[in-house]
Amino acid sequence: MHHASYAEKYRPAAYADIIGQETAVEEVKRFLKEFPKRKGLILHGPAGTGKTSLALAAAKESNYEILELNASDLRNRAKLEQIVKPAAEQKSLFKKGKILLMDEVDGVTGTDIGGVPELVRILGTTKYPMIMTCNDVWQSKLSPLRSKCKMVEMKALPLSTIITILRDVAQKENLDKEISFFSQLAIKSQGDLRAALNDLQSHFHEDSVVDVTEKRDVEQSIFNILRKLFKERGDFLGLFDTTKLSLDEIFLWIEENIPREYRNEALARAYYALGNADVFRGRIYKDQSWRFLIYQNIFQSAGISYAKKVPVQNFTKYEAPKRILKIWLNNQKTMQKKTIAKKYARMVHCSMKRTMRDFDLLRPVFKKESVQKQLKFSPEEIEFLAK
Amino acid sequence: MTQTEIWTEKYRPTKFENVVGQHEIIKRIKSLVQAMNIPHFMFAGPAGTGKSTLALIIVKELFGEHWKENYIELNASDERGIDVIRQKVKDFARTKALKNVPFKVIFLDEADALTREAQQALRRTMENYTNTCRFILSCNYSTKLIEPIQSRCVMFRFKLLEKKDISEVMKKISEKENLKLTPDAFDAIYEASEGDCRRAINLIQATAAISMDINSDMISMISASAKPAGIKVVLDYALAGDFINARDKLLDVMLRESVSGSDVIKAIQKEIWTLQIEPEIKVRLTEKTGETEFRMIEGSDEFVQLQALLASFVLAGQGKAI
Repeated sequence: MHHASYAEKYRPAAYADIIGQETAVEEVKRFLKEFPKRKGLILHGPAGTGKTSLALAAAKESNYEILELNASDLRNRAKLEQIVKPAAEQKSLFKKGKILLMDEVDGVTGTDIGGVPELVRILGTTKYPMIMTCNDVWQSKLSPLRSKCKMVEMKALPLSTIITILRDVAQKENLDKEISFFSQLAIKSQGDLRAALNDLQSHFHEDSVVDVTEKRDVEQSIFNILRKLFKERGDFLGLFDTTKLSLDEIFLWIEENIPREYRNEALARAYYALGNADVFRGRIYKDQSWRFLIYQNIFQSAGISYAKKVPVQNFTKYEAPKRILKIWLNNQKTMQKKTIAKKYARMVHCSMKRTMRDFDLLRPVFKKESVQKQLKFSPEEIEFLAK
Repeated sequence: MTQTEIWTEKYRPTKFENVVGQHEIIKRIKSLVQAMNIPHFMFAGPAGTGKSTLALIIVKELFGEHWKENYIELNASDERGIDVIRQKVKDFARTKALKNVPFKVIFLDEADALTREAQQALRRTMENYTNTCRFILSCNYSTKLIEPIQSRCVMFRFKLLEKKDISEVMKKISEKENLKLTPDAFDAIYEASEGDCRRAINLIQATAAISMDINSDMISMISASAKPAGIKVVLDYALAGDFINARDKLLDVMLRESVSGSDVIKAIQKEIWTLQIEPEIKVRLTEKTGETEFRMIEGSDEFVQLQALLASFVLAGQGKAI
């Protein structure tokens, strides 16, 4: 079968293929098991986190038929009454049950007059579970649905999960790339797997020459930024507008290269400024106080530039950030360590994090056969401990 | 019941009488439990001082054989988002207690790791389900919990265990497991445990895996092999002015040992006093270290704050003002 996009081609077919959303998967399973305790479920979260995939996988796993309406369909009252309502009340033709999937309900707008109230009515009478997806569940027009439905959040996928999936897909497509390439796509995706897969695909079809030029363009622009910040003295408040890279990506580039440029007092002042930028970024994350963005911006531009007393003119070789990559590689290596810690932590009423910290102390204990049996270690875990 | 092979579990006290230390707290809690009605509790204090143990004893005393159906335990440092509160906690809290028991108990361990958003959700849940459910929150620092949660709980502050407490536990274990401990082994275990009973028990079990006769040298060897090594190397590079190597080594240590930024800060703070530098500079570096710990809580990227601290060590190494 030919698929237009990787995102479609590699859409997970089973629960087990949905990576990094274990809680959401459990919640959907439970919802279907307990139906009709609750008739509707809303999967909400950022784009590309697997909302639609999860709904489709649920139908497959339960051997249910699926009736799907998405934003491309007109979903006004008449249409819903004509299509969804009968489906919700009639028996499925061939299979035991069905799932009504209303994809992207936040897209039910303007022209879909009476759409949301009709969905609420259908929820009242449906004989089948209804799953809805949306990005922002808190908008007011969805409030009548919220009170009637179970809500399950799907989070942006962690970097390491996206890298793992990208590598996996690339391997299946015989696409040979460096690990740093995947990590760059993953950073750029900001947790949106679909975007990452689309990027991956575009790189596959592109001529490799184009690929290199684009990379060179981005690097050129970031190198220019770094040169200005590190060599000259100035406010440079609009400087970051000249690149496609996000403020957080630039942050990593600056962090990597401060010690390649600055020494002693300038080094300390530059890191202090970057630390300030990070403190404000922390406040943005914690309280969604986006007005602090300007402070992050100033500290990581003017703060870095004025860390030195006088401009410099020598040549410095800048390097791409390596930290994220190192963390990811390490995660791969310590997968077993984590699963061991998880099993142990559950047994002894303590956190996995704490167990990870005490891992070396506990290692002789984990090596005992009786303990391994009690904690049901897998062969891989036992092998990891033997190393 | 099958006997567990893990000593922290095997020797976890199951009755108030068997808990070491924390006598005042136990006296007060016991009288509340006997009245069969408890408020929400907050247990604040360092790790390994009996917070989880007491929570378990409380539910066993309250619910007898039905404690398992009416109790859940969640660890907020592993699941720190709002989802845990919205789903697991709420689902458990809103259903009625089973088997003629007046309410259920939720033990939320390391509650100070919850995000603010999750804490807000928790606060509402505590209010709404007060009839069916009691909370026991444990935390290292009560100040990391929002005020409205603190004010809904009766607070108990747990202290680090003293040497006699740790030694009592060690003595009991060595008798049951047929271990022979030299007198100085007790000192060494207490030193290495830093008043954390879980660590002490882990340490003695790890050592016992090698030998049944245990002396202080063996304890020191085992505990040293398990310490986040390499922080000294990191600081030495920084003091010598080699920032890039210091940074690389720091990341290696953190990844290899799975230590967090705050663990590194603790190790650095201790290490400062063993360095060959002027005492005045040690004081300045300690100030910087404390400042860094504070900024790490505020910021989003611990490693950046640690790099800023290393830059101060570079200056210190050259006798410059920090």
